[in-house]
Amino acid sequence: MSFEPDISVDLAGVRLANPVVTASGTCGYVDELGDFVDINSLGGFITKSITLKPRKGNPTPRIVETDAGMLNAIGLANIGVERFVAEKLPQIEKLKVPVFANLAGQEIADYVATAERLADTKVAGVELNISCPNVKAGGITFGTDPVQVEKITAAVRKAVGRKVLIVKLTPSVTDIAVTAAAAVNAGADALSLVNTFTAMAIDVETRLPKLANRTGGLSGPAIRPIAVYLVNKVYNEVTKNTEVPILGGGGIRNASDAMEFIIAGATAVTVGTASFVEPTAGLDIARGIADYCRRHRVAKLAELVGSLR
Amino acid sequence: MTVPEVFLSPEGMSVHQDASAKRGRFVAEVIANTALNPHHYRLKLRLSGSAAKAFADTIPGQFAQFDAANLALPPIERIPPELRESSGRNLLLRRPLSFAGITSEAAGDVVLEVLYCVLGPATLRMTTLAQGDTISVIGPLGKGYSLPAGKKLALLVSGGMGAPPLQHMAQWLRQHHGEVEPVAFVGARSVSELPYSVEGSKVSGEPSLCVSEFARYHVKSMVATDDGSLGYKGFVTQMLARWLDHARLSSGDAIIYACGPEAMMAATARLASERGIECQVSMERMMACGIGLCQSCAVECRGNGDTEYRLCCKDGPVFDARDVVWEEGR
Repeated sequence: MSFEPDISVDLAGVRLANPVVTASGTCGYVDELGDFVDINSLGGFITKSITLKPRKGNPTPRIVETDAGMLNAIGLANIGVERFVAEKLPQIEKLKVPVFANLAGQEIADYVATAERLADTKVAGVELNISCPNVKAGGITFGTDPVQVEKITAAVRKAVGRKVLIVKLTPSVTDIAVTAAAAVNAGADALSLVNTFTAMAIDVETRLPKLANRTGGLSGPAIRPIAVYLVNKVYNEVTKNTEVPILGGGGIRNASDAMEFIIAGATAVTVGTASFVEPTAGLDIARGIADYCRRHRVAKLAELVGSLR
Repeated sequence: MTVPEVFLSPEGMSVHQDASAKRGRFVAEVIANTALNPHHYRLKLRLSGSAAKAFADTIPGQFAQFDAANLALPPIERIPPELRESSGRNLLLRRPLSFAGITSEAAGDVVLEVLYCVLGPATLRMTTLAQGDTISVIGPLGKGYSLPAGKKLALLVSGGMGAPPLQHMAQWLRQHHGEVEPVAFVGARSVSELPYSVEGSKVSGEPSLCVSEFARYHVKSMVATDDGSLGYKGFVTQMLARWLDHARLSSGDAIIYACGPEAMMAATARLASERGIECQVSMERMMACGIGLCQSCAVECRGNGDTEYRLCCKDGPVFDARDVVWEEGR
């Protein structure tokens, strides 16, 4: 008898067929991965960051590989919400997988206007990027101050109406539980953690930073144990007794990595940097999670969320 | 996907395109991995089945992403001292490499020829690949060189490790465009930095069949080295300028294809512009994915009024030299 576990999860009222979601900025707007993997086989899709006006992004070098990780400073290069609606939404509407639009901006008004533009579209929800370390204004400056987190979350909450609102947090704070609580208090339906860690790499021969932006965001396997810890901390201190799910990620490369996050308290997981190396990473991980459940005779994956002993 | 211009013969007829060919992730088998000198290796890979189909019509300048992260390191005594510290690093990303040649075999297989220079922990690991080993490749990626209608002369201008895609171009032109005569201008800082096994014999600055990798396609070549250790003493662009001074050519008949360090390509672009010759350059950027996801590999190009960033992996790596905003013009 083959045993078919149920690996679907409920992300704030949106059913994901499996818990694997693309991390913003690692899988494009929606169509770029299509040659390599069936997007509908993923649990969910989060677009790269979209801003009110198009952005060129930072000068190069925008990335550098580090030990078991990479630093990036793309600078939120994107086509802007109007072109997103005109060019990308028609493709999104054809997909079965729930698609969440990641929003970024320099001022609260930018976020609100972008969110309003998407409120009546077919996106399942929005992910609020208040944690980008690579832009001079906005981004992480909102995400490190709990008062600002509350303000911006409440404002976008109003703008998106009944769409799911995910708030993506930065790990570059003293206590992530404080910013997490601020987002939940202001009406976030779900929390996404973690964004990249602000970091730096230096060429010692030239004494120059390796990135044109000088600093960047660290991702990849190097950050995974810290991200697991932060998910567990937010789960224990903020979301455990609420209906607010955590979308957890940071350096996930395989199903065991993903299970760490789920056991730590994440309802679903984001796969990012791994997709750069293996475009099929998300699908491979979803299959591996089903195998894990079979091996452990777990009928419903959701029962393992926060099951750390 | 639009049909690249290069698929069109001068008459505008579509040739040799297989609609079923689809880029993807494939496993390639190592046929040979030969050291040309202490720094440069020639890797020959066999692709079969859908991989062979995907790569059969690869255009020069296109590339693939190679996964070297799980390959073995050579024994410590064979690791160059300057790479000993970095060699132990856990690698994450694939490495983009273009091709020096692609050959279809009778059985339907395709043989990829890759020239690489040992520069860091990934290429160091690649040196341990042996016959029968496999390596994961994603490709073919990006947009290669294109041939506008009416050209009779193709000037292949390379600097250092820019040589491989131009060797591929020599092969491709010979196979598909007999009406175009290629001439190669091969530059390097020193003879030891040429990715070729050049004999120590005297090489003149005049076109001859001196570099065997071009000679095998009956393509004439000239070598320039900055230090004069082989061929013309000076930059490859200086050699090209002198050659153009003496060549009796109608600039509209010629096209320059360039690949090499950015300063060398900027100089080539400037020379091409001065002489009224079309020029295509193959750019290089740090990239993570190679398929347009990560937005790392931005190339600043002239847009409408303002400049814009295009992606080296998707919009390039080959660009019209006039579109690129070169460093000195910034």
